[in-house]
Amino acid sequence: MNHDGLGTTRLGPALFATAALLLCCPPTASAMHISEGILPAPWAGLWFALSVPFLIWGLRDLRVRSEKEPMFKSLVGLVGAAVFVISCMPIPVPTAGTCSHPCGTGMAAILIGPSLTVVITSIALLLQALFLAHGGLTTLGADIVSMGVAGAFVGYGVFRLATALGVPRWPAAFLAGLLSDWATYAVTSFELASALHGSASVGHTFVAVAILFCPTQIPLGILEGLITAAACRFIETRRPGLIASLKQPGGGAA
Amino acid sequence: MFSLFSDFFACRDNLLSRVDPRAKLVVATAMILCVILSTNPALPFLVFLTCVAATLALRIPARLVALRLVAPMGIVVALALLQSFMAGGTPVCTIPIGPWRFTATHEGIRTAVLTASRVCGAVSVVLLLSLVTPAHRIFHSLRWFRVPQGWVEIAMLMYRYTFQLLDLTADLTAAQQLRMGYAGVRRSLASMGTVCGTVIIRSVDQAVHTHEAMVLRGYQREIPFGPMPPVTACACGGTALTVAALLLLYVAIGRVG
Amino acid sequence: MKREGIAIETAGVSFAYQEGTLALADVHFRANYGEFIAMLASNGSGKTTLIKTLVRLLKPQKGTVRVAGREIGGYSQAELYQTVGLVFQNPNDQIFSATVGEDVAFGPRNLGLSETEVQQRITDALEAVAAGHLRERAIHHLSFGEQKRVAIAGVLAMKPSILILDEPTAGLDPAGEGMIMRLLHRLNRQQGITVILATHSVDLLPLFADRIYLLSRGRVLREGPAREIFCDRDLIAQASLRLPYVSHLLDDLNRLDGVPIEDVPLTLGEARVQLLKLIPDELLVKPPREEKR
Repeated sequence: MNHDGLGTTRLGPALFATAALLLCCPPTASAMHISEGILPAPWAGLWFALSVPFLIWGLRDLRVRSEKEPMFKSLVGLVGAAVFVISCMPIPVPTAGTCSHPCGTGMAAILIGPSLTVVITSIALLLQALFLAHGGLTTLGADIVSMGVAGAFVGYGVFRLATALGVPRWPAAFLAGLLSDWATYAVTSFELASALHGSASVGHTFVAVAILFCPTQIPLGILEGLITAAACRFIETRRPGLIASLKQPGGGAA
Repeated sequence: MFSLFSDFFACRDNLLSRVDPRAKLVVATAMILCVILSTNPALPFLVFLTCVAATLALRIPARLVALRLVAPMGIVVALALLQSFMAGGTPVCTIPIGPWRFTATHEGIRTAVLTASRVCGAVSVVLLLSLVTPAHRIFHSLRWFRVPQGWVEIAMLMYRYTFQLLDLTADLTAAQQLRMGYAGVRRSLASMGTVCGTVIIRSVDQAVHTHEAMVLRGYQREIPFGPMPPVTACACGGTALTVAALLLLYVAIGRVG
Repeated sequence: MKREGIAIETAGVSFAYQEGTLALADVHFRANYGEFIAMLASNGSGKTTLIKTLVRLLKPQKGTVRVAGREIGGYSQAELYQTVGLVFQNPNDQIFSATVGEDVAFGPRNLGLSETEVQQRITDALEAVAAGHLRERAIHHLSFGEQKRVAIAGVLAMKPSILILDEPTAGLDPAGEGMIMRLLHRLNRQQGITVILATHSVDLLPLFADRIYLLSRGRVLREGPAREIFCDRDLIAQASLRLPYVSHLLDDLNRLDGVPIEDVPLTLGEARVQLLKLIPDELLVKPPREEKR
């Protein structure tokens, strides 16, 4: 990247802000959800519009699969609850002793597929907006795109690709957790940057926001990957075949 | 974390919790829209003050309100700093730190204040809504607003079983902690993985049991929703009046500045 | 609704799970209309499996299940579940709505009843389990005992003539246990609902159950009124169960110490009568005006 003088002076403060924030303001790490009110109306609307087709896709999947397997709806609801609970678990982040939460989208995508993960993520986000003031109603669209769509599809794609290449399940789960987390983080940064760049360029703001989140999100992604892998391994030993049977109800791998 | 996640206050009886949830949803949405469309930080701050005042007037502990506001405030501070220093324009002050010189600009500070006011205003609206409306009434209203059946069904199941799985998680974590499951990073991660795995396995088993119990009570692919009581003229009028007042406020001060 | 005859029966039912465990072996079970039946069995003896075959959640590999004289396979869903209701052991398995009223409404709404009828059924069902005041409450704010009662109400709202309960008193405190048993007794005697109860808590059964099925390792060891079941101490031990404590005590007094007790009592009341017979009147220090039990 070409660092001209201007760029340096603008990135510098970001780095400084990061350090300052991490020392005095632990909850920044939960900035994976964009707070209510941050996005201007047009941007909020745009992200909503983007998330809707994925939601419709997910709901269609739900209908089709629950027609084949009547139990499917309760399964999605319960796995959704489980993933939501997991995403509420505080995990220790080594840097600066902060605490954050895993997203669980990678895990959900492995379990019930990406389109339904979008659906349960949208619900989880609504619940979090209402109960914990994480995220918000107007930013729901943006959060669905970053967590649900990006996180789920990247996680699922990585998991499928890795297993297809012969990687055993749990390292594949690690990659899924790691990359889904990072994908979410990258998209969130982009969403923030594109809406809030002001007179600075989108690119610069994106880099600044991305760097701002780096110190928490890089270890967080790794931790999320490790936890996803550990959970997968645990399920594999306790209930071999569960993951395969969930993915394709009534056929295929099971 | 677990105590935060409670609808204890939403289930209390007070002036606002008695209002039709549909009316509250409409008014809350209108308020948030006004806040994020406003170009004048005064309107969002006004909304913020009103909501916080209402929250406190309903005798909701200030500590809880503060706790729920902490997370969004962190982001506000980060973004405000970023915006004040990154936008170009009239320099206000310059702070030299190490090899860099930081220049805060007039325009930057203005956008930062606006953003901060919007976040405060909008978050406080959601907070107030959630403190006077139990989640199940919100879901019921969403169904009334024609949100797809499948989505609301899954949402209800998720909401219902979240509490149970939270209990399970708390028990498992406590049991692990008592046996040194969280001494050291490696062991912590292994323990957390076990908790996650157990929660997922339990949820799958629970899904089987729940489904069986539902079938025994005549479940046929869709949870039947009961009708909501008709919207009263009072709720309707109240909503219309409030929204109109908001619009007036928005036109009067929202577009200035 | 007084009806005569057999409400539900199994004939030679056997069931083995996929992995090969034989859960039921040639079980003959029968409940007449209006009876209060207990399946007394230790953990893992097949009672939950038997219950599941009674509501068609499991299909036995051998034998038949008949409800009201008809083969269970011939029933439509709506018909069957308005005849037989099952209350699960864990109320969490059953209650999935967010509020009590909503959950009880689930069954009636599935039947396509009118809203007034649905509301009436909610009221009746909740009244029947003394939970009318819980109607608007959120499920996660209920105590365990309240959840159990709400789970029963959810099934009662289907108006079944046969009510099956899997361990309805497990995990309850003594007061809660007594309350549930009295509720079931009232449903049985006043509304004529056939009650089938699976349990391994023996102390309360002699008061309530008309007949008891003693199950062990998937077989019916014995069937009959409480007195016949509990007279054979070895058989009870074989099923990994025990006599009610009061019976145990008096039986020990009889066998080990030679206290002359003719008929081992099963309840506190019976034991009291027996013991009073043995104590000469002049030894009794009568408390002034103690009211009767």
